[in-house]
Amino acid sequence: MKGFRTLFWLEARRSGAWALALIGSLAFWAWGLYQAYDTTVGIRAILLTMAAVIGAIVLALMIGRLRGETRGGQFQVLLLTPQRGLTHIASRFAFALATASLYYIVLGGLAWWALAMAGGSVPASSAAQLVLALPLYGIATLVAPLLAWTLLLMVFIAAYRVSGTGWIPGTVMILGTPLALRWLISWIDRVCYSLPGWPILGGLQQVGAFVTGTSDGVGLRGTADGVVYVPQEPLWIMLALTVVLLIVASRMWREVEA
Amino acid sequence: MLASLERVSKRYARTDGLRDLTIGFPAGEVVGVLGLNGSGKSTLLKLLAGLLSPTSGAVSALGDLPRRNRGKLVYLGENDSLWSWMRPSDAETFMKGLYGDFDVVRYRSLLDSLAVPRRSTKAMSKGERGRLRLAMALARDAKLYLLDEPLAGIDLLSRERVLQSIVREWHTDETILLSTHEVAEAEGLFDRVLYLREGRLALDARAEDLRSQGRSVVQAFREVLG
Repeated sequence: MKGFRTLFWLEARRSGAWALALIGSLAFWAWGLYQAYDTTVGIRAILLTMAAVIGAIVLALMIGRLRGETRGGQFQVLLLTPQRGLTHIASRFAFALATASLYYIVLGGLAWWALAMAGGSVPASSAAQLVLALPLYGIATLVAPLLAWTLLLMVFIAAYRVSGTGWIPGTVMILGTPLALRWLISWIDRVCYSLPGWPILGGLQQVGAFVTGTSDGVGLRGTADGVVYVPQEPLWIMLALTVVLLIVASRMWREVEA
Repeated sequence: MLASLERVSKRYARTDGLRDLTIGFPAGEVVGVLGLNGSGKSTLLKLLAGLLSPTSGAVSALGDLPRRNRGKLVYLGENDSLWSWMRPSDAETFMKGLYGDFDVVRYRSLLDSLAVPRRSTKAMSKGERGRLRLAMALARDAKLYLLDEPLAGIDLLSRERVLQSIVREWHTDETILLSTHEVAEAEGLFDRVLYLREGRLALDARAEDLRSQGRSVVQAFREVLG
């Protein structure tokens, strides 16, 4: 545990500037939402989606950066510590996840604020779901697997870097991922809503109507009375995938040459 | 043997790092690993540290595969390898949190004797960073120390401080492998010297034997590798 705490502290020091910049960027998105307060819900939804996607990309870049540290020798220092690969991978992942939680919860707060600005009445239970439950659901189903995938990519490339063939696993993973993702999405689509969906945001007619109009069968599903449902299956499947990716990355850590 | 290599070769993408090297290191030696650039010194130390895997042959350190013992030996690489924001106090937090054999009292004493300034590494000279890294390395209580070019790029006075610290901190049950181009300055330190040429062992000699033949380590370097 002491090793994990120290590595988490190290991660906070080495990536703190990235995390602060990411959290700071929320001020920009708040400004954007404020400027768009009299437009349709669609434009605000697009802004929030952009913030969510860019946030995920920045988080992945934050934990996946490798080049400078392999050249500078810091990566060597980490490889030589007595801690297991899992401790290293888990500390990086945990810091990124903590940053992601803060970022997406504030983003949920911005969504709530945007709705309130547009004159929408938000019941307390829906506000809590918008600010907490929905962001955490999004992190678990989308951001966490992306971060785990990034860590695996980083370690996979590092393992072959010395022999000069790091580009091969990099290319394989980057080209193979869209194919694997397509297969995964179609599988999730097949099993989606086999278990009861979780009702959220009841009472937010505006959001419910928007989701009903855009729903494509995967992810959120709206009903005529304005209640939005999220499926359970993607959460469990993606969490399991995240764990598998982290375990593989941890196992590969020991094989890395530097 | 504390560490050994048995018919070890290491091939990189386009070059050979080591070729068919067999060698052993008993406890209680200070070994100079000498050679020209590209002779395989760093490769040898990295193989013993578990940072590289041999292409063929077997490497053992502290009775096991080096990879399994990465945390039990001390390796000081040739790169700067410290984060630019790191101060000596951060380095202490880092080492104390990760290494059970890290001695805080010895570390602080080494910082003083090596005259390491208490500012971030970004604001330190290359020599000061090198001395900080050496303090971090020597403050651990290990049996095998692998020091790759600890004297590179630092001034004469700093080099003297570094060598004095290595001598002061060395215990007779520990083995130090030290690679350096500063052969003349370090030669008094060595019990044994390995001369590497193009990944092969050109000469493995006791320093005392060389001296009894009337040759210095530097002279032997010139004869063997010149």
